Amino acid sequence: MLWPTLNDPVHDSQRLFRQLLSAMSEPGTLHTLEVSSPPGDDIGPALWGVLLTLCDLDTRVWLAPGLDTPELCEALAFHTGCRLSDDPAEADFALVTPGVLAEPIAFALGSDEYPDRSTTLLVALDTLEPTGEWRLTGPGIALRRQLGLDAAAAPLMARLAANRESFPCGLDAILTCGARLAALPRSTRIEEVA
Amino acid sequence: MNGYNFAYLDEQTKRMIRRALLKAVAIPGYQVPFGGREMPMPYGWGTGGMQLTASILGVDDVLKVIDQGADDTTNAVSIRAFFERVAGVETTTVTPAASVIQTRHRIPETPLEPGQILVFQVPIPEPLRFIEPSEQETRLMHALEEYGVMHVKLYEDIARHGHIATTYAYPVKVDGRYVMDPSPIPKFDNPKLDMSPALLLFGAGREKRLYAIPPYTHVESLDFEDHPFEIQRWDERCALCASDRSFLDEVITDDAGGRMFVCSDTDYCLTRRGELS
Repeated sequence: MLWPTLNDPVHDSQRLFRQLLSAMSEPGTLHTLEVSSPPGDDIGPALWGVLLTLCDLDTRVWLAPGLDTPELCEALAFHTGCRLSDDPAEADFALVTPGVLAEPIAFALGSDEYPDRSTTLLVALDTLEPTGEWRLTGPGIALRRQLGLDAAAAPLMARLAANRESFPCGLDAILTCGARLAALPRSTRIEEVA
Repeated sequence: MNGYNFAYLDEQTKRMIRRALLKAVAIPGYQVPFGGREMPMPYGWGTGGMQLTASILGVDDVLKVIDQGADDTTNAVSIRAFFERVAGVETTTVTPAASVIQTRHRIPETPLEPGQILVFQVPIPEPLRFIEPSEQETRLMHALEEYGVMHVKLYEDIARHGHIATTYAYPVKVDGRYVMDPSPIPKFDNPKLDMSPALLLFGAGREKRLYAIPPYTHVESLDFEDHPFEIQRWDERCALCASDRSFLDEVITDDAGGRMFVCSDTDYCLTRRGELS
């Protein structure tokens, strides 16, 4: 089964990037990406679209165990030319499920001088709703915003909530579920409300 | 246009700038280094802003370009024509009709709306540069949040002039963390940075740095309790549209001391004159 690419690489990647930029600028807003679905259940169209938009010869990608299927590795190499890395500390992007983050994996957090040299998490989720138990405040949010995730996302949110301690170093995350996507940059304050 | 990719830059360069932009948005006010490319015009004419515009621009965008507030000055006309030619995008001079606005040294008077993106051209992105010439040192100062020296500079203004004499490129603090140069906009425009509904992107071509302020982000201009931040005020009104709240340029009209004050934002001024007549 072939993995789909962008029909019009120039204009499709521009359109997808603007949705990503919008998601990152206004954390917690949901965006639906128009991308052909890749085969299998692991990777949704939104996640695949992000990989096609952002990855190229200059990026190193770390795949969480379980997601590192030969089909995905081959498709990434063929469509983006990105390098796969075994070391999460040198990854520009890390493809993860929230459960993987229960382990203290040493991603790149950037340094105090260069906090931008950090890993961006690309997360495959089963649930991503605009209302729910997570309250977001901070830059890009006029008052407050909400996100609804399932219980499996707890380790992910714990990891992202810890970003405030290490700011400006930290992890930025792009959360995806099927064709939908939201972003949680390190600047966002995350609280769990009952 | 044949022979060029859409919006001039090649896709690999756009992706590099796009990745840097996402980091810039995630760390508001922090200067992200990027691999600046040579553009078909000299440094100082907006090569940084152009590279950012080229990386975000799409076929559906409507582009406005201003230089010191004006749509009809050399820099604005040239950059607008450039993107018409290499991207074929629709252009406008009407602020609310634009989805992307590239600007040199002003923020439009008409309030920006959610979804709009303002791209600033930045000559020297480092606010501490005139105090500390070493890039290594200024990076460390940002890392340690060591900004006392910036207040000393403003204090020296007060000691010498009795008030803070910095009138443009007035330093701001973004979301309580990074001190940032808002580019050489007049301090009159600084309050528009705070909780702006539009995304603000900054590109410095020669220095190869880009940074950002996401929408709805707290941006405060540095000041002192006993010398609070103030913006410029004029006793005059605009001679053309009679506005008493826009940023005014003083124009010399003859060699006998004749002068007039007019809005620097041409679209704002023309719109008002249309409404008045």
